[in-house]
Amino acid sequence: MPPRNCALCANARAMLKRPKTGQQICRGCFFYVFETEVHNTITEAKLFKPGDKVAIGASGGKDSTVLAHVMKTLNERYQYGLDLFLLSIDEGITGYRDDSLETVKRNQQQYDIPLKILSYDELYGWTMDAIVSQVGKKNNCTFCGVFRRQALDRGAATLGVDHIVTGHNADDIAETVLMNIMRGDIARLGRCTLICTQGEDTIKRSKPFKYAYEKEIVMYAYFKKLDYFSTECIYSPDAYRGHARVFLKDLEAARPSAIIDIIHSGEAFEVREEVKATQKVQQTCQRCGYMSSNELCKACTLLEGLERGMANSAITDRARKKLDAEGPAPDNLRTIPFYRAPSAAGPNASIAVEAPS
Amino acid sequence: MSSCGNPAVEAEALMSRRLKFDKSRSCVKCKTNVGNIVIRHAVYCKDCFTPLQTTKFKRSLEPSINPASASTSGPRRTKLKATGNLLIGFSGGLGSTVLLDLVSRCYISSNETVENVDGNSKPRGGTKHPRNQSVWMEARACYVEMCGAFPESGMRDRTDEVRKAVERYNGFEFVSLRIEDAFDSRWWASVGGRDQIRERDLGVDLSDEELLLSSLQHSSDSSPLAALQKYLSSLPTTTATQSSLTALTRLLLLYTALATSSSHLLLGTTLTGLSIGLISGVAMGGGFVVREEAGEEWEPRISGLAGEERRIKVVRPLQDMGMKECAAWVWWNGLEVVGKENVVGVKQGIGGLTKDFIVGLERDYPSTVSTIARTCAKLAPKDAAVERCVMCERPAQRGVQDWKARISIRSFNSPESEMSIPLPPHIQSAIPPPSHPHHSSFSPSLTPLLCYGCHTTLTSRSSRGTALQSKNLSKSLTDVIAPLPVWVSSRLLDSVVNPGGEMRDDLGGDAWQSKKMDVKEMRDAVKDFLLED
Amino acid sequence: MSTLLLSLKIEFSGGLELLFSNQRSHRVQIPSIVPIDNSTSPSAAVPASDISMDLPTSPQSTDTGKTKAADITYLMYYLRDHLLKERVELFMEGGTVRPGILVLINDTDWELEGEGEYILKDRDEVVFISTLHGG
Repeated sequence: MPPRNCALCANARAMLKRPKTGQQICRGCFFYVFETEVHNTITEAKLFKPGDKVAIGASGGKDSTVLAHVMKTLNERYQYGLDLFLLSIDEGITGYRDDSLETVKRNQQQYDIPLKILSYDELYGWTMDAIVSQVGKKNNCTFCGVFRRQALDRGAATLGVDHIVTGHNADDIAETVLMNIMRGDIARLGRCTLICTQGEDTIKRSKPFKYAYEKEIVMYAYFKKLDYFSTECIYSPDAYRGHARVFLKDLEAARPSAIIDIIHSGEAFEVREEVKATQKVQQTCQRCGYMSSNELCKACTLLEGLERGMANSAITDRARKKLDAEGPAPDNLRTIPFYRAPSAAGPNASIAVEAPS
Repeated sequence: MSSCGNPAVEAEALMSRRLKFDKSRSCVKCKTNVGNIVIRHAVYCKDCFTPLQTTKFKRSLEPSINPASASTSGPRRTKLKATGNLLIGFSGGLGSTVLLDLVSRCYISSNETVENVDGNSKPRGGTKHPRNQSVWMEARACYVEMCGAFPESGMRDRTDEVRKAVERYNGFEFVSLRIEDAFDSRWWASVGGRDQIRERDLGVDLSDEELLLSSLQHSSDSSPLAALQKYLSSLPTTTATQSSLTALTRLLLLYTALATSSSHLLLGTTLTGLSIGLISGVAMGGGFVVREEAGEEWEPRISGLAGEERRIKVVRPLQDMGMKECAAWVWWNGLEVVGKENVVGVKQGIGGLTKDFIVGLERDYPSTVSTIARTCAKLAPKDAAVERCVMCERPAQRGVQDWKARISIRSFNSPESEMSIPLPPHIQSAIPPPSHPHHSSFSPSLTPLLCYGCHTTLTSRSSRGTALQSKNLSKSLTDVIAPLPVWVSSRLLDSVVNPGGEMRDDLGGDAWQSKKMDVKEMRDAVKDFLLED
Repeated sequence: MSTLLLSLKIEFSGGLELLFSNQRSHRVQIPSIVPIDNSTSPSAAVPASDISMDLPTSPQSTDTGKTKAADITYLMYYLRDHLLKERVELFMEGGTVRPGILVLINDTDWELEGEGEYILKDRDEVVFISTLHGG
């Protein structure tokens, strides 16, 4: 194929075929449209106001590494006036997280953004390695997901930030839309395409990369020479979600717009009013103060199961009943420190939660 | 943030595989016979299977038969009586074969004979008894022959086979259509549409994302078949070809229902097929019309032959029966399935991919398919519809073009870049807007009249693409302009020829300000080709 | 090894018959004891590429000499190797029938009979119905 000029600026030579649009464009225009689309996402949703303290959930992987770079860039270019922080969670998986935490530490220096690392071990008294040695590999993702979500909030609370941004990208969101339809999770389906989720007193959480293609994030990192770690978790992901991921990739290959088309679909519908009424009201966990749809939050239930040697108690109803039949939790049970949101939420505040997807 | 390679790790994400059936091999219904079939973990014997499926079928269909005012929740007290005739969309495939059989058993053949308990078949209460009046006065089965869409595949015309399949049943009139009828002004006139003057036909430039409208130059071969093939070959993806054929078929059936004074259009979509349609609809950006996928009430823009305004209910009475149950029904009742030809390339489209995905899931996780349908039944569009799409005639939402421009920047000249966003540093001066060699600067666009899904169908490209894009670079204007389905051109012409008419009404309201402009532009662009009324 | 032959009635429906010489009903005879790796007796009619598609069928493993009672899985391999005329991917996938094909053994859903592990008996009737013939 002969060299072509960039479809956007018509000046420079096209260097890449943009995964999202299929247009052949130059590098400068790619950076520009990628960043501008994130900026559009941020301004359209009015995510920030000047003076906000914002924590970037940083794993050292591609999404959060590029997010840190783009947040820093946009904050300067458009004078958002944000105070940025990096917040990392150490799950305690030997050989998996070590390298990526090094990446995060390097980012801290490159971008001159303060970093906070919080470990499962210090928060829950359990590393993922220890959890897997008890529960095996089958359900460990449940623990990790629930624990990470709380850990991010708790880390943000210690930093005193107003807002956590995470690196969830368009592929993640499209996949979650499909997953929620397939497993009938109507509550999450209704909110998984929201850019920002927040209750009255919780820390805001948002996804500035909501419309950014995974492939473009990788491409951005590549052209900007950002280093990151792409380590697959050594504890296997579940097969069912794997199906959905493969399916989504097939759809993208058939028509690249499929990913944003799915997100557009997810934004176009909502849960019918009469169905909404039957959904559970959010409350706060009686033991740790974190938001919950039951008396005990997921993390406390999981932790109790671990501590009492019945780790599957929060995974299935039957196991939970068995745990309850064993009697109430002993007084000396290790628990999670009581959660206080930065703006000092009342213990009974009603809160909207969001899927950690 | 898929840092762990497994983004939404939740207990709910785990779908454990269960045994294919629960505990016992005996039928869950009669509890005496040994079961013959497993339906989503439940075991049924052959004797219980038939009434079970019949009940599911009736439960899906009957609440929609009487007009809304007559139907009440709770047990039905009034007799079933539709306000119009019945049209069945019959493809000759598995679902429609079962549908025709069930409709015939439950509503048509019973007109003449009602089986009594003692086995004699005299109508109870006599033929004049209100109970024995038909639910629909007339019943038709309509087949749309698709072979014209695949001239190179050697697909054979199945009209005669399908006709024979329909003629096995008494009481159905066979209506035979061809997919190219969607581009046939005579067919359009036959269903009550305006008989167009052909020189007025509008076409659209599908080689360009702006979808500019032009008048269509007729070449020597301007048959409906040639127009269909031109349209299909101008589409940017395999996915677009498939979804366009689905949309064309749907509207051919709807307008036929209108012309035959039908109050109901029944489709043989199975539960499996419905889930495939829902997921692929979502994947093609159709979240706004997710409800219509399961059932819709269509209000025609034209009034039909009878002249009266009417609404047509589209019902899928097999939406609780999976493909498996349908296959068992066909086998145990000795029915013939004419079947559909495999079309080359279907697998690479979103529809084909979704079908493979869902059918695979149905085997390993048998309840997923019904979960999809149940979940989607709980959804409603977020905003009120402002308009109906000219192409698919389904509700369209506002603001989709702004949304697209914000999320995928495709040009530095879009309205979006007029905001205070600086140009990229490597660009010194403003970029001149791209010129369209084929069009005057006044060319109106089809874009504002389309819903998100149809706009995506016509514009979204794939690297696999069709060879067309490059082919078109060297083509002249007349070559790149594709014809439009008759209902689309009719509506566009209506608005131009008769600007005081319906279209302006349709376009009222602030949200469509930009469109009003387009109507004016449209008129300017085509006025030279218009004859005086 | 003295193995009995099982006489089976096989039917294809829902479009599957098109892959089998457009013939719906077939009668086949298969041995009651078969190789555990489902390799059917050598047939020149089967291109090597088709065999390699579905592991663990590989010519070498027949040498192990391990056997089992003939089951539905073996029957599928037998039909694929001896009766199937075209497009193996429309019949089998991953060592079993392709999703969307309903299998009835003596008029009963094979899911009730242990699927591929059902041990065939003389005069069994096995039906393969494709459900993928469109709506």
